[in-house]
Amino acid sequence: MMTTVLFILALGLPLGALLACTSPALRRALLPWLWLAPLPSLMLAVLAEPNAAWSLGNAQFAVHFALDRPGRILLGVAALLWSVAGMYAVTWLHDQPKQGSFVVTWLMTLTGCVGVFLAADLISFYFLLAVLSVGASGMVLQGKGEDALRASSIYLGLALLAESFLLAGLVLLAAAAPNDSLLIRDAVAALPSSSNRELTMTLLLIGLGIKAGLVPLHFWLPLAHGAAPMPSSAVLGGVIVKIGMLGMIRFLPLDVAAADFGLPLAAIGLFGALYGVAIGLTQHNPKHILAYSSVSQMSFLAAVVGMGLTTGAAGTAVAVAFYAAHHLLVKGALFLAVGVIARTGRRHLLPMLLPAAVIALGLGGLALTGGALTKYAAKDLLGDGLAGTVAMISSVATSLLMLHFLRTLLQNTHVDSNARPPNGLAWPWLIMALASVVVPWTLYFVIPINTMSQGWAQALAPSALWDGLWPVLLGVVFAIGVERWRHRLPRIPTGDVAVVLHPLGRTNTALGVLVERLDSFARRWVVATMSLITLAILFVWGLAR
Amino acid sequence: MTESPASLLLVLAVLLPFTGVIIGLLLGGRHVRTVALTTVALGLAVIIGIVWHALDTSTAMEYVLGGWSPPLGIRLRADGLSVLMLLAVAVVISLVSVYAHADFAPHDSGKETRAPPVFWLMLLAIWGSLNLVFVSGDLFTLYVALELLTFAGVPLVALDGRGETLRAALRYLLFALLGSLLYLLGAVLLYGAYGTLDIQLLAQMVRPEALSWAALALMTVGLLAKTALFPLHIWLPPAHAGAPAAASALLSALVVKGSWFLVLRLWLDVMPNVVTLSAAQLLAALGAVAIIVGNIVALGQVRLKLLIAYSTVAQIGYLFLMFPLVFGLAFAGLDSTQAVAGGMLQTISHALAKAAMFLAAGLIYLTLGHDRISDLRGVAQALPMTVTAFALAGASLIGLPPSGGFLAKWLLLSAALESGQWWWGAVMLLGGLLTSVYVFIIVVRSLAPAEAGWMPKTCVPQYQQMAVLALALSAFLLGLAALSPVDLVQLGRTPLSLLRGTP
Repeated sequence: MMTTVLFILALGLPLGALLACTSPALRRALLPWLWLAPLPSLMLAVLAEPNAAWSLGNAQFAVHFALDRPGRILLGVAALLWSVAGMYAVTWLHDQPKQGSFVVTWLMTLTGCVGVFLAADLISFYFLLAVLSVGASGMVLQGKGEDALRASSIYLGLALLAESFLLAGLVLLAAAAPNDSLLIRDAVAALPSSSNRELTMTLLLIGLGIKAGLVPLHFWLPLAHGAAPMPSSAVLGGVIVKIGMLGMIRFLPLDVAAADFGLPLAAIGLFGALYGVAIGLTQHNPKHILAYSSVSQMSFLAAVVGMGLTTGAAGTAVAVAFYAAHHLLVKGALFLAVGVIARTGRRHLLPMLLPAAVIALGLGGLALTGGALTKYAAKDLLGDGLAGTVAMISSVATSLLMLHFLRTLLQNTHVDSNARPPNGLAWPWLIMALASVVVPWTLYFVIPINTMSQGWAQALAPSALWDGLWPVLLGVVFAIGVERWRHRLPRIPTGDVAVVLHPLGRTNTALGVLVERLDSFARRWVVATMSLITLAILFVWGLAR
Repeated sequence: MTESPASLLLVLAVLLPFTGVIIGLLLGGRHVRTVALTTVALGLAVIIGIVWHALDTSTAMEYVLGGWSPPLGIRLRADGLSVLMLLAVAVVISLVSVYAHADFAPHDSGKETRAPPVFWLMLLAIWGSLNLVFVSGDLFTLYVALELLTFAGVPLVALDGRGETLRAALRYLLFALLGSLLYLLGAVLLYGAYGTLDIQLLAQMVRPEALSWAALALMTVGLLAKTALFPLHIWLPPAHAGAPAAASALLSALVVKGSWFLVLRLWLDVMPNVVTLSAAQLLAALGAVAIIVGNIVALGQVRLKLLIAYSTVAQIGYLFLMFPLVFGLAFAGLDSTQAVAGGMLQTISHALAKAAMFLAAGLIYLTLGHDRISDLRGVAQALPMTVTAFALAGASLIGLPPSGGFLAKWLLLSAALESGQWWWGAVMLLGGLLTSVYVFIIVVRSLAPAEAGWMPKTCVPQYQQMAVLALALSAFLLGLAALSPVDLVQLGRTPLSLLRGTP
């Protein structure tokens, strides 16, 4: 009973608030209350009984929602970040003009996001994903100037491209499902034996890969995360990039070994994990560095999924969700930190910067942080072979990138060395920083993850501590090296491969001109009359065959 | 086969609008609007009655005029397809009438002007002839209905009497006449060979032979010319872009659907055993080119109304993708209802969405005094509801859930993949992406803030905005039709079974 109420509130509260936005006055009045909207989701994640489900509709057609373990982990941490970022937004937008549209896009994205985490049937998943994408591109549009416009259009374009692939994949999934069931669970269970297995998997992986920011279709990510206002960047960089991962967990039959798809996915992922760091090192805006780090981390996670798929390891989903949850908290927190530190003078810097340093290096797997735990969880899946080695390199590389991030943060402090950050920004940031250490530890003890043995002894064993130290130390060594040779690094524009969009744009224009000529040619009288006759002959021929 | 008193509603659905036209003509200029609006209200009630009856009895309605059964007499018949189209058209007509209420008011000075009475009379004529197209049971009545439809459409194009629009109207008239000619030729061939034009009788008699190939080809091409399927869209862009907003909405949303519906009837109901998969593929190939060319040319347009007109060129293409899917499934012995339902939904959701778009463009023009896409600043400030409506209509054209466009795309995509014709699915998805580009551009441009001190040229009445929003919302929420417990599409129809080799 309570679960049902929580399901209704989790989905209904953001949606209701969104609908209330039709009144312009209410729209602006909602800003101070944004933090409340995700709370039912948080309660649902914490309080619901295992495998809770809820559906709405009749026998003909119903929408289904459910909370499995990976979804639950992610929904909980996502709701926490949404709520804290909502508090942060109040101060951040204090004297901004476009508050109304910010609230609309925020609530729309939140509605879609909660929905996607809970959706248990193909149609609601696709629908809520579309709501999320449109909302999120609106969030990016709230940034300033032409950059935001370009970033937003590229974001929406890539999101819709991804959804086209997904739609085709989902239709195939639905066709393969037994008894016309539209439940994701049934459809995925039937996928390995479907006659269209290869095509379905390819379409799904392309769609979800774009959503997850896999190289080479990752360029929308740094552009969007860089352009959005800070609280939006936090949820985009923390929560929204996880949709691709969540999709992979949901739609790939992870318990059936499929090396033909697992290995290529792992290869693309591991490449992206290093590529993201390499480009990130050439960036100078802390937000862009964080975004490239997301590219790297999501690629790494895709590699974990790929390896899990290769061996058919049933524990992959929860391990990936655990890793993603940690990244979600840390990346969200760090975006908040960028905004805080930009308003902090050098004299008050330490209490703000130190937590940032700890959790940032946590992404590299620093001992005692949540990061060390998540690396430990992923280790089993990657094994000791090539993938394991690349994972270790990626740890070192991430530490290096995070040191670069911290250095850039230091260069972006407030000019007035006595400036103190406003409480409305500082507290949300510190709460998130604390949460990104405490929550992973809590999850580690509460939820059985993968095959690893969980307990204080394992987590604090000397070998585990050492595993969490040497990559970071090695990262420090490399960072010193990079610092020396910094001037030799190439300057790479944010969005790197997005530069090919320019010549592509020119080709498009040329194509446009060509098609327009074709159109005006076809619309001449002589040509149109000739087409009329030709078509009649063609149809006779077609019918006679 | 029920012929209850309720079947009289079919006759009313056709006669009422035409009666309105005659009364309007008799009473003259100043009263035409009142007559038209009354007729629309009554007509809507009739259509609701028909839908109610169809849902209630779950059978096709039939009415044999004067008790003379075919081949001598005329039979009106409304199956699921007809009922759906009747309803969709009634909704569009009613909301366009609400919108046009002020635009086509009788002149205050008492002087009789030409445009308002012509608009209202043609609105009724279009409605009457469309209803006739949907319920006609024989090919000759259908020919008459189509001619009426064309002749009602032409004056709407030239409503403002400028030289440019007159040229567009003439172009439309001439090309549509060519189309009629071909259709008539085909009908004559059929009559000569089989001695009847009644759809149900023909369907039993027609054989795959040279004569019926020629007849089907001629009739189809003639109808394509009237539907403006690429490359026969010579007349559409200038005609649809030049007319006043309410007229464009009627032309783009409804008039082209009349001839499309007839193609559907011919292929699915009259000559399913003459149709081959290659011919259906040819039809869809034209549709695919229309989608790509129409969308790309739309992207290059400078003026909003022309963009929407080219979007119609593209959307007409979608309507023809269903043919190879339906026949592909039927030939394989599979259930083709999904594909038919998808095609119908595509048509209806386009009718609603495109009407909303043209009306929105009209309000934007009034507010800005122009419709250059490069400068839509301030539109969202002045017309928040209209921009929302445009975005929702756009979402339906793109095929985002829960719109009718989405459900249509889902059904057609399933059919494409199930019948092993993935390429038509790919075209659909590509078209959706191209559409999203121009919808995005327009919405973002109109969200830009106006210059300080800018004032709208005209203040648009609230109810006009509401009418546009209502149309857009109906398109956007049409996907919820999936929740309906009754399968209207298949009502009174036998599923196609065309397993070749069976006698």
